[in-house]
Amino acid sequence: MTAPRFDELIHAPTRLSLVSLLAATDWAEFRYLREQLDLSDSALSKQLSALEQAGYAEIRKSFVGKRARTSVTLTRRGRDAFAGHVAALQEIVARAGATVTPAADH
Amino acid sequence: MTEPAISPTAAADALTEIRNRRDQAIDATLVPGWYWPAVGGLMVAFTAAVETARPWVVAVGSVGYALGLGALVTRVALRHRAQVRNDLLGVRGGLAIVGYVLTLVALGLGSGFAADAAGLSWPATIGAGATGLTMALSGHRLTGYLRSVMSARPIGGGR
Repeated sequence: MTAPRFDELIHAPTRLSLVSLLAATDWAEFRYLREQLDLSDSALSKQLSALEQAGYAEIRKSFVGKRARTSVTLTRRGRDAFAGHVAALQEIVARAGATVTPAADH
Repeated sequence: MTEPAISPTAAADALTEIRNRRDQAIDATLVPGWYWPAVGGLMVAFTAAVETARPWVVAVGSVGYALGLGALVTRVALRHRAQVRNDLLGVRGGLAIVGYVLTLVALGLGSGFAADAAGLSWPATIGAGATGLTMALSGHRLTGYLRSVMSARPIGGGR
């Protein structure tokens, strides 16, 4: 079981959405993330840079045919931090006696 | 644990956001609804072409099948812009896929041999038709089941 650890970096609203998407995937394209989160290129780049600097995300550039493709993946450290953050959120909710999270999470 | 300055309601909202985003990623990875009838239709057309035993029809059918399948796979691959974690599927999801494929194979072979035994013409096409129709009618159910399996996994579980 993952130890609860609230992570301020992840919890910022846009980054929480971004990391949640990345945590569900092995990789995701930059374009996909931008569209799903309804962000501009620069706004998404800024968020990704913050995650990259913390060692939470890795950005890879490759070519598919002649088309440049930028994909993003969470690192092991990022996945661990996300798991700890989720556990911390669940603990806060559980301590308050709320039953907001689905049964599958317990 | 680092003491956070957020309320239980804010924490619950964050968990809901995490779950919604994961469901969004899952939806992006699943095959679209048109995939199943398209594959089923191609399969039936190809089998029928082969069963005519006319070389030119077999050739046209084979090329058409290859091109059609290639176009389908390309279309699905192009819209595939994120790879959902395989462990979300789990053993249950894997078994569901294997079970579905085996059922389709058994249905196709069973109905094909039954048609042959009954002396019907085009038995292989009948078998493929049964399989294709089943795919068209039930493929979305498999997709829906896989979605529910993946969505039911605990969030934040890592690998």
